[in-house]
Amino acid sequence: MSLGAAEVISNTRNASAGGDKPPLIDIRNLRVTFPSGGAEPKAVLKGIDLAVQPGEIVGLVGESGAGKTTLARSILGLPPSPGRIAGGEVHFEGRQILSLSESELRRLRGRRLSVVVPNPRAELNPLLKVGDQIASMAKIHLGVAGKEARRMALEILREVQIPDPERRMDAYPHELSGGMAQRVVIAMALICSPAFVISDDATSGLDVTVQAQILALLAKLAAEHGSAMLFISRDVGITAHFCDRIAVLFSGEIVEIAPREPLFLEPAHPYTLMLLAAFSHSPKLRDSWTVPDTDRRRERSAGCQYADRCPIAQPVCRTLRPPLAEIGPGHFVRCYFPVRHA
Amino acid sequence: MRILAYLAKRLIFVIPQLLGIVLVSFLLVKSIPGDPAVLMLGPTATPSAIASLRQQLGLDQPLYMQFLIYVRNLLHGDLGTSWQTTRPVLEDLLQRFPATLELVTLSLLLAIVVGVTLGVYAARKPNGWVARLADLYGLSAGALPDFWFALVLIFIFYTVLGWAPAPLGRIDMIVIPPLPVTGALTIDALLAGDLQAFWSACAHLVLPVLTLGLLNAGPILKMTQATMEKMLESDFSRFEVLCGVPQNLVVRHALRNALPSIVTIISVLYGFLIGGAVLVEIVFSWGGAGQYAVQGVLNSDIYPVLGFVLFSAIFSLIVYIAVDLIYFLLDPRISN
Repeated sequence: MSLGAAEVISNTRNASAGGDKPPLIDIRNLRVTFPSGGAEPKAVLKGIDLAVQPGEIVGLVGESGAGKTTLARSILGLPPSPGRIAGGEVHFEGRQILSLSESELRRLRGRRLSVVVPNPRAELNPLLKVGDQIASMAKIHLGVAGKEARRMALEILREVQIPDPERRMDAYPHELSGGMAQRVVIAMALICSPAFVISDDATSGLDVTVQAQILALLAKLAAEHGSAMLFISRDVGITAHFCDRIAVLFSGEIVEIAPREPLFLEPAHPYTLMLLAAFSHSPKLRDSWTVPDTDRRRERSAGCQYADRCPIAQPVCRTLRPPLAEIGPGHFVRCYFPVRHA
Repeated sequence: MRILAYLAKRLIFVIPQLLGIVLVSFLLVKSIPGDPAVLMLGPTATPSAIASLRQQLGLDQPLYMQFLIYVRNLLHGDLGTSWQTTRPVLEDLLQRFPATLELVTLSLLLAIVVGVTLGVYAARKPNGWVARLADLYGLSAGALPDFWFALVLIFIFYTVLGWAPAPLGRIDMIVIPPLPVTGALTIDALLAGDLQAFWSACAHLVLPVLTLGLLNAGPILKMTQATMEKMLESDFSRFEVLCGVPQNLVVRHALRNALPSIVTIISVLYGFLIGGAVLVEIVFSWGGAGQYAVQGVLNSDIYPVLGFVLFSAIFSLIVYIAVDLIYFLLDPRISN
């Protein structure tokens, strides 16, 4: 049932386009490497293609080490040290932003493209009042004066539903709970109404109940500010709640990307199935797809990255990298033997 | 309010701290061999003359009595008399301590300017040429002896170029020193409106300040560089960069976070230099407190030594309390 080679190639471009309108952000063949002991640097992102439409929320799930944070930060031109962007393009609002000068990029960050980070209490400057930190975003990027910036900061603190926002303006980060600090980080990300927000595992450090509140808030505010969002998470279940499309990242590659319903109802890549099974409550499903991870850190130089863990891998999987093939409307999978759902 | 409560607590502890310092230094100084009575009377003195002088000085008393007498005199503001200068130690120190303090303070200011500036620039680009220069500087500043560096400066700027005045004290001999008010010649000259004395004092300060300032910039540079590198790699600096905060502002914020460590090393250096500047004082015939104390040690003249220790201890305690107050101002996590 696999597709012919010509068909596959003609389809791969569409994977990043996603629809008819020009995308807001179009990541093309983004490759990031880290220097390794050997001569050959280690590839952490192996050619990411991903496009996001204006106002769309795209989820990106993957296990630790898949390259999620590297992707989030490379989009802003700041791969985690000592990583290096080895190739690819990021088109945003009509410009290839990876070729912009550092100062032009800086003006985009926090203004048109912003990021919500996890572990927010460490991410806020411990010596500055949170109100000043939020207001400085408006001062730097929108050029508004101090008083107006503080008014905007207070307003956005209200929007992120911090209790007693007037008082919190003068609080220092150590005086806030984790959930409140996360709201402050969201306020900083959204005060300039950016076109694109990247949420990098933003709620991972919080209690489950607070997590749900923060996520709902994030989705609501992104919609209100007209921002598209790339929602990065380790938890595939969370993405089901409010993402329009979901991409599955494995070992620096997108192995499957699909609108929400097909991804959850007809997952095609064996890894996606394993992920869903791992989060499933059905022991039967879990047992059938959870395979022992013997060698999860091993990198494959050829073939499918998942081949060593895949229960249905064939000889071809170990020699030739499968292309991203369209198996349904907007549903792409990087597998020679996608799972079919009758 | 917390600051005041804290200050009160600190001040209560000052008295026992000082008492402890006096006790330890008294015992140490007393254990130095040598009999002041013998030294004072010279080689031709008769044993009976020595014995009567010992009695007069209280040296025949048991050690604890000598200590109690010393403490009792301290409480009356009497730090003893130096048999070398034949003047009360308090008077000598009030004259010499400001000389050392003036020299050390100006040197430290120079060290701060050089060290912090170089450290910040080195940390901004850990592999850049400033960082390499800073490494070299830190290494050489730690390796060069200060008295040797002082002699080199004197050779170049006095002997060869003739730009600096002779290394013979704090002011030209033909210039009349200003009336002592603070004891710092530059300030006293300005207070007296005596510009000639002011410039003469400044000219004499240049070389010793360069010596101590440039060499002591090393530790400040290293501390600034290391702390700034850590701060610039920290989560909050990274987040500021991700938020598009301009680099200058990121560096300024990082520096504020690095300041407590930098202030700590400065305060340690300040206390250390009061006595540590003695070799440079000797090279420049500065007539400072360190020089006075060393003369005391060499000649079994114990009261100048004890007086110097006491002055240094009080000075260090003041510096440390000031540093704690600075921490309060710098870090809301402490003050709240």
